[in-house]
Amino acid sequence: MELLLNDVVDPNDLKKFRVMYEDQSSRGVPSEKAQFEYSMCLVRSRPDVDVKHGIALLEDLFKRTRDTETKRDCLYYLALGNTRIKHYEEALKFTKLFLQIEPQNQQVQHIQKYVKNKMRNEGLAGMAIVGGAAIAVGGLIGLGVSLLKK
Amino acid sequence: MAAGPYNYSYIFKYIIIGDMGVGKSCLLHQFTEKKFMADCPHTIGVEFGTRIIEVSGQKIKLQIWDTAGQERFRAVTRSYYRGAAGALMVYDITRRSTYNHLSSWLTDARNLTNPNTVIFLIGNKSDLEAQRDVTYEEAKQFADENGLMFLECSAKTGDNVEDAFLDTAKKIYQNIQDGSLDLNAAESGVQHKPATPRTTLNTDQQPSDKGCAC
Ligand SMILES: Nc1nc2c(ncn2[C@@H]2O[C@H](COP(=O)(O)OP(=O)(O)O)[C@@H](O)[C@H]2O)c(=O)[nH]1
Ligand SMILES: [Mg+2]
Repeated sequence: MELLLNDVVDPNDLKKFRVMYEDQSSRGVPSEKAQFEYSMCLVRSRPDVDVKHGIALLEDLFKRTRDTETKRDCLYYLALGNTRIKHYEEALKFTKLFLQIEPQNQQVQHIQKYVKNKMRNEGLAGMAIVGGAAIAVGGLIGLGVSLLKK
Repeated sequence: MAAGPYNYSYIFKYIIIGDMGVGKSCLLHQFTEKKFMADCPHTIGVEFGTRIIEVSGQKIKLQIWDTAGQERFRAVTRSYYRGAAGALMVYDITRRSTYNHLSSWLTDARNLTNPNTVIFLIGNKSDLEAQRDVTYEEAKQFADENGLMFLECSAKTGDNVEDAFLDTAKKIYQNIQDGSLDLNAAESGVQHKPATPRTTLNTDQQPSDKGCAC
């Protein structure tokens, strides 16, 4: 897990996908592919501002895409991105939402386990996990059943 | 489960590539957990597993990156090719299209890894003999022509899975021994571990890895 979290995007990739995305944005609505690729680079970048930018783009993509696989990928990277910038409560919202739909997913289970350990170790437990906080991810619930089919 | 921190003298980095659905994640799972995951969800981006093996009396930690085969991840997963000492390139013996795409995977692998990267071709799902769509001989010839190692495996029965991962490691180790793989090169995909633990992060017993099945 640690390795995945410390994995840093190649600067050339980041630049390449940023140029592609910005080029498309300047001419209208960027394609889902361009937005997805750019945000995958951003959430794997080192500076927190990049990761946050990536998270914003993923949330936007999550809302506008109709493709359930893309939604699934967005949720995963939202969990990973938030974990990277230590926004553990946010991260847990996304892992929880994902696991409601696909409980056996090991990639997401690993993130969740890691985050919970971190929170326990850092004394954050109890702040968020209890209660209905996890439901607060407004607008993201719609995907439920549609993701169930594989 | 872990044999204790830094109980190995080398780390070899592998990548697993090939079309979606050929069984990459199942092969990784079979190798690291000795189990078949019948209902494996589609991999998102990259996944990662490790196992410590022994080659010529040396303990080696394999650090294996399993990539998603979908086109939309391809641009991003390409960056994981860099610095791989071994590449397992997988097709499904029951689906010819996955075999036909090998040349494109091989081009990526050749262009993005270093010249010493050991590329191992795996024809997976050998348990499905009745549905075979690619003959052994044909694939063997392709492997020989391109200088690849080759085995047919089954992630389901476990047949030949160990051998594919271990033979790759043996070949890499051999390249180190005969000097053709330079460990100091930036992207050799091999790290030599000193006998003493690293002290970069916390010095207590790898707290971060605990509880992770990776
Ligand atoms: N019969 C058989 N099925 C397999 C084998 N390996 C994988 N599968 C199945 O093939 C599908 C795709 O496997 P997966 O590992 O997710 O493929 P990936 O996309 O390459 O990672 C799953 O339904 C597996 O159960 C095998 O060796 N034999
Ligand atoms: Mg997979």
